[in-house]
Amino acid sequence: MRISAPSIFSFFLAVLAAFAIGSAWSWPFKTQLFPLVTAIPLLVLALVQLMLDLRGKAGPADGPAVDLALSSEVPETIARRRTLLTFAWMAGFIALVFLIGFPLAVPLFMFCYLMLQSAAGWWRSLALTAVAWGFFYGLFERLLRFPFGAGLVQTWLGL
Amino acid sequence: MLDALIGGLLLVLQWKAFSLMLVGMGLGFVIGLLPGIGGAATLALMLPFVFAMTPAEAFAFLLGMHSVAATTGDITSILFGVPGEALSAATVVDGHPMAKRGEAGRALGAALMSSLIGAVIGAAALAVSIPIVRPLVLTFGSPELFMISVMGIACITSLSGIGARAQIKGFAMGLLGLLLCTIGQERQSGGLRFDFGLIYLWEGLDLIPVLVGIFAIPEIIDLAARGTAIAGEKPAGQLGAGVWEGVKDSFRHFWLVMRCSAVGVFVGILPGAGGGVAQWMAYAHAVQSAKDAKDRERFGKGDVRGVLGPGAANNSKEGGDLIPTIAFGVPGSGAMAILLGAFMIMGLVPGPDMLTKHLAVTYSMVWTLVIANVIAVLLCFVFLNHLAKLTQIRGSLIIPFVLLLVFVGSYTSNSHIADLLVTLGFGALGYLMVRFGWPRAPLVLGFVLGKLVETYLFISMARYGFSWLTQPLVLVLIALTVLVIAYPFIQERRQGTTGRVYAD
Repeated sequence: MRISAPSIFSFFLAVLAAFAIGSAWSWPFKTQLFPLVTAIPLLVLALVQLMLDLRGKAGPADGPAVDLALSSEVPETIARRRTLLTFAWMAGFIALVFLIGFPLAVPLFMFCYLMLQSAAGWWRSLALTAVAWGFFYGLFERLLRFPFGAGLVQTWLGL
Repeated sequence: MLDALIGGLLLVLQWKAFSLMLVGMGLGFVIGLLPGIGGAATLALMLPFVFAMTPAEAFAFLLGMHSVAATTGDITSILFGVPGEALSAATVVDGHPMAKRGEAGRALGAALMSSLIGAVIGAAALAVSIPIVRPLVLTFGSPELFMISVMGIACITSLSGIGARAQIKGFAMGLLGLLLCTIGQERQSGGLRFDFGLIYLWEGLDLIPVLVGIFAIPEIIDLAARGTAIAGEKPAGQLGAGVWEGVKDSFRHFWLVMRCSAVGVFVGILPGAGGGVAQWMAYAHAVQSAKDAKDRERFGKGDVRGVLGPGAANNSKEGGDLIPTIAFGVPGSGAMAILLGAFMIMGLVPGPDMLTKHLAVTYSMVWTLVIANVIAVLLCFVFLNHLAKLTQIRGSLIIPFVLLLVFVGSYTSNSHIADLLVTLGFGALGYLMVRFGWPRAPLVLGFVLGKLVETYLFISMARYGFSWLTQPLVLVLIALTVLVIAYPFIQERRQGTTGRVYAD
């Protein structure tokens, strides 16, 4: 028996299904019917998969699904670092949107990403930021007139 | 019928619908060349933009984009051996060796021309099938529609991988999609489920942040992790002449192209079987069509027939895919599951209404498939050299643009900051699923079909009690579902092996 990352994922699924069953158990019949109908077999399947993962029985059919396969050209440590970094950039973008709103966050994020992550240089970063902002402004603000909410900072400052 | 056919054409040719189709085609053109972003992900990204459109405009935009992405996906498959789309993987097998042999132009000409023929065949199949499926659809009630939805999920899970073990993951993901759909207010009694005290969750999870997160983010992460251009380090090379030679090849092997188009339509009609299956079946058929063993040996080494078959099936399956999506509300693939989301946004209910009240809109889809592909192929021939250079751009320069699309697109669905967090959360889930070999398509299909399945189940129970389970058509559908579920196990037992991984 060995605990691996796939087994932790299967365990997470089993916990999720168990939580759904536990929550739905006390609901009225109409409300609980569909969650129970889906969560009970999900729990069974997740537990079966967990057992297989813990036993380490990874047959060929347990390999990649008919789906995107992650590249294996880059060493695992580098790939993991880049993955975490990209998630950090995404979280940073969301934080920026929360603080200053989309219209300001878009050009700021683009410029920072291009300068710091892409090492695109000043002129290229400025030009590509202008293109991105032009697309954003032209499509959402001018053409679709989409109302983007103000950020926390603008709300604080009463702008 | 003829009125609706002409009405459909006129809907597409209206200046706004036509302009939007051209915009969609432009996006699909570029996206098709970018292996980092699939056609399904692009459909999900563009879904928020259709809110302000009429149904004909929205489908001209979305289908124009999607059908063109399938066509241009072949370009990088041939030039760099990098499938521009998951649906273009089979084109690599013979297309890339042709490019390495200096026959890139011929391979591209063959792929584009066969794609065009395939698209026309698929659209014709969709148009012809409408009067045939119409009476059939009208006889379907809630119990039958419930069972068809269940069968659709069973089909897509059965294709999530080969062998019994893969079925566990496929079904678990389908069930998870259905379970996620139960978040929010239950529509029959009004009870709240899994809302955690958050008002945001009362309406349930929105389709767009979930789809965009699950499909787009894992592909962006992979591109970032590789740290190369989309096409990797592969040189662009010279396309050379020979494009017209490839076009002629499509007519030299015309019946092969026709048969492979038919394969694409057939696979497209099957709920759950997407283009990934169609292209390999068509490739297999092309190999089977070899005269003898010696002729067969040419495949895999750069035989133009190995390009023509998948090229035709890739595009013909678009028409086939639309048949169950429109007629039954059961998407034929992940992309069609997302398109089903567009139906919901437009306030259209797939099923009988699409074949009666909205028949002109349905025919406008047929025309969009034809017109978009004709224009795309003509443009491909003109801009082939320049377009392929996109894949040579550093991934780190493309990623911020894609992230912008991802998050702005998600936000526009509800104008709520929590949509961005949902997108990121489902992006992380999608990444882990890909990493640990859990298929994403069943989850998406479960999520898209969840509300319909629950409603059909509720109506069936309220109207018939448990007796709906004994209705003849329901029994047939139950038997078919059991067969779909059991088939991989039977196949595995027959082969006496634990199963082989798909060549995909």
